[in-house]
Amino acid sequence: MSTARIFTVENQLAKLADRPGGKTVAEHVRAAEIRVQGVRDVTLASLVEKAEAMAAAVSAGKNGSDPKAFDTIYDISNAIFGLAGTFGLKGLAEAAFSLCDLADSFRGGESVNWPSIDVHVDGIRLLASLGDKAEAAGADTILEGLRRVRARVLPNG
Amino acid sequence: MSLPYTKTERVNLSTAEVMLACGDPEGLNILAEMFAGFGVHTPRRCLTGAEARTSINERILNLIVVDSALQDQTGYDFIHWLRRCDVAPNCYAPVILLTGHTKPSQIFKGRDAGASFVVRKPVAPMVMMQRILWLLNDQRKFVTSPGYCGPDRRVKALGPPVGMKGRRHDDLSAEVGAASTPNLGQDEIDALFKPKAVI
Repeated sequence: MSTARIFTVENQLAKLADRPGGKTVAEHVRAAEIRVQGVRDVTLASLVEKAEAMAAAVSAGKNGSDPKAFDTIYDISNAIFGLAGTFGLKGLAEAAFSLCDLADSFRGGESVNWPSIDVHVDGIRLLASLGDKAEAAGADTILEGLRRVRARVLPNG
Repeated sequence: MSLPYTKTERVNLSTAEVMLACGDPEGLNILAEMFAGFGVHTPRRCLTGAEARTSINERILNLIVVDSALQDQTGYDFIHWLRRCDVAPNCYAPVILLTGHTKPSQIFKGRDAGASFVVRKPVAPMVMMQRILWLLNDQRKFVTSPGYCGPDRRVKALGPPVGMKGRRHDDLSAEVGAASTPNLGQDEIDALFKPKAVI
């Protein structure tokens, strides 16, 4: 491949989607929402497990047994962010996103601040275990604390 | 985002071959349920890039949804491989890249890897359906070059930037020259329109 080529590709997906049958867009979306809600409980349970796995990854990172601990922490936190957001757990999603910021910075060469990781993991474990009840249980207070920690550790982030 | 479809128009994805790739089992499960709701039968589910590459080589796929994090590699690397793998027609298939914790640089990274669309998580069914509908109407050409393989990254057909000469062979000059042929007559103009039967 030495020169650029620009060519037309047939849109097979469009041809299939135009075939008779199927459902309306609104019906598809409604059916998908119902099916996604059907796995809500099992997914929320997995968030608690992921939070515990993240705590274990932090321990391994602190005692030096896992040189790629920040990769693991980042991946788990990223997964929690996506799952929590899908089911409207905004507080948990925000906390996980904040931890992603920290882990990404530390693995990228910023000086490591383990206490900031610890407080995030503790917050995420608590929010994950509370699930839907987190908002009523004072998630805002936890998040406010995490925001302050993140701002102090990553002032330019 | 304006859509070529309305909520009451019908879309049939029942015969579409779809591959879903996500490194997180629960995330993959959610995607599978979502696409089942869209009427997609038995999508190929992949947790790793290796599984995804096997699927690419085994069956013709009409839509590929890839998370940025697979268990053994990044979604960016997988898409980069896909666009250059020469397994037609799969290497030209529309690809939706899902990203979680995202920096702007990663959006560009996904686009430059050859993704047709980059969607930030969390992805609600309505958002996913909107992106699919957009892809159904996607008429972008495909580009292969030493530095990039994938759909034309210029989504808007606005012509080249002001003051710059376009690089496409069919880019036109912004300046209109003098007429070189006589004006069309009304009959000639009428002949440009296709007659349609009115029922």
